Amino acid sequence: MRKCARIRGSLVSSLSDTIEPDTGATERERALAAALADETRRSEVLIRIGEAIGAGRDIETIVQTVVDGGVEMTRAEFGAFFYNVVNAEGERYRLFALAGAPRSAFEHYPMPRNTAVFAPTFSGEAVIRSDDILADPRYGHNAPYHGMPEGHLPVRSFLSAPVVSRSGEVLGGLFFGHAEPGRFSAADERVVAGVAGLGAAAVEAMHRRDETLAASEAQRSVEARLAERLSFALDAGRMGSWALDVDSRDYEASELCKANYGRRPDESFGFADLVASIHESDRDRMTRAMETAIQDGSDYDVEYRVIWPDGQVRWVHARGRADAIVPGGSAKRMAGISLDITERRRAEERQQLMLNELNHRVKNTLATVQSIAFQTLRTARTPTEFRETFEARLMALSETHNLLTRENWEGAALRAVIDSEVEALGGAGRAIVQPGPEVHLTPKAAVAVGMGIHELATNAVKYGALSVARGVVTIHWQVSNGILELDWTESDGPKVEMPQRRGFGSRLLEKGLAAELGGSVELMYRAQGLTCAMRLPMAALEGRD
Amino acid sequence: MSDERLVGLRVLVVEDEMLVSMLVEDMLADFGCAVVGPAPDFDAAMALANSAEIDAALLDVNVAGRVIFPVADALKARGVPFAFASGYGAAGVEGDHRDAPVLQKPFRQIDLERALTGLVSG
Repeated sequence: MRKCARIRGSLVSSLSDTIEPDTGATERERALAAALADETRRSEVLIRIGEAIGAGRDIETIVQTVVDGGVEMTRAEFGAFFYNVVNAEGERYRLFALAGAPRSAFEHYPMPRNTAVFAPTFSGEAVIRSDDILADPRYGHNAPYHGMPEGHLPVRSFLSAPVVSRSGEVLGGLFFGHAEPGRFSAADERVVAGVAGLGAAAVEAMHRRDETLAASEAQRSVEARLAERLSFALDAGRMGSWALDVDSRDYEASELCKANYGRRPDESFGFADLVASIHESDRDRMTRAMETAIQDGSDYDVEYRVIWPDGQVRWVHARGRADAIVPGGSAKRMAGISLDITERRRAEERQQLMLNELNHRVKNTLATVQSIAFQTLRTARTPTEFRETFEARLMALSETHNLLTRENWEGAALRAVIDSEVEALGGAGRAIVQPGPEVHLTPKAAVAVGMGIHELATNAVKYGALSVARGVVTIHWQVSNGILELDWTESDGPKVEMPQRRGFGSRLLEKGLAAELGGSVELMYRAQGLTCAMRLPMAALEGRD
Repeated sequence: MSDERLVGLRVLVVEDEMLVSMLVEDMLADFGCAVVGPAPDFDAAMALANSAEIDAALLDVNVAGRVIFPVADALKARGVPFAFASGYGAAGVEGDHRDAPVLQKPFRQIDLERALTGLVSG
């Protein structure tokens, strides 16, 4: 406050200085002419500075113009403009422009600090004018130099002004010096204050411009990052993107979008190409969906087949939305994504196929069970006999299904089918398996052979060789000329007699199994034991045509 | 007890599942029908459809991996009525044969009887 008062005082005194005593017309005219010339020069300088600011040149040029102008107007020997800058990382630092001396004259010194001489300037408080800074009471108090550093420009006359923004922020300071003392007048103080104001406007304008630039730069980089991320996400999701101008039907497709229609990135792909590429049966559905989306702003979401130029048929899922430029107005553009969903569609088709196949298999199995019940009922003499026989047949069928399930219903090995029935006989020692080459049975053949072996085994346990302790069954097979020759031979059992009537087992073996597999099955009731000779073509067993 | 119109009827049976064809044979025998076949595969079915003396047919839609429709075409050409039997139900029947009755497996004996009666009196 005290300093401000002093400045105000010095301004007042300088005003009175300009009122000179009357020293005669010529001298007065000369003085007026000189004052006019001074004014003209100042005006020119001010115009130059104004032009530099107006032209929006870089801050170094403007600041240089300001300090040059200040030097010119105050007839100083040296001028300096120290100004604060904030860099991209938010750090503040000080730059300077010089007039009347090369930059090397200052470059080796640290920036002016808040010493008693500089503080009023850098804190934005006051203009300081000193006729001889060396004699100034504020000079030389601070370590390490206690005055100007060695080699400093020879300054005696000193004039400085803070450069302060309208909001009160100190932007920097203007300093003028002369090697001779007493060179600056009160008028120079006013000039420097004015130039400082121009400097502040210039620096402020530059700051604003930088901030705007930085903000738009940041905005641009946010947008660029978003676009990049979006493009990455689309790529990662194998999504194509597209845009359609509703009126002109201008259609733009991304590279991936084109790829979804079998087009190369460099191939043109317009709206007509898009519509033409869609499968005939799906085209109406697609165009209707698009028209609806355009008319009522609903989501466009449609799956259709496309025919690639190479003839491939692929599935594409397209999604999008129409967008009115004027709120409430009719849609002008449409944009969205496209996705190749061929694999998903095929998986769905496979799944449907599998479900159908499963249903088919279950229904057939139910019909098989119905058949077993139907025929067991016809031959069973008592309900208990029905239950026992039916259960045993059901378990045999179930066991074969277990084998097939283990192999994903691709089939089962003949050996495994026979082993599972032999195990059910209760004791491997009773049945001797002499295996031949491995035969891979289709599911149908496995069920048929399994049921056949089950009937033989059940009969052996009930009436045949296995109905007595010493009896033995031998199961032997070989493959000859594409025919499986499987022989079931019972021995050491009770004396065999020809059955009174053909039961389910013999019918299943001799008629069913033989017919289903296109071979022959012969049961021989020999006295020493029953034999069963199966002659079945390998092609039917293994499912080859 | 059963419909007299079925007695002595010669019925071609096409069925690749051994136990199912045995069941159908028994059912038909109960009606007094004479079973032709049963044909366990497409080729046997086609041969019988073209040349055997038959009054009606029961065709499994899928025999040993092949669809039976060409056999149905041959029967149609000869004017022999037929019904389908299928684990897929009516959904498995396509083309010109949608009008033919379809028995979905498993079916009751009476369903088979009605289907056959419908075929021979239609």
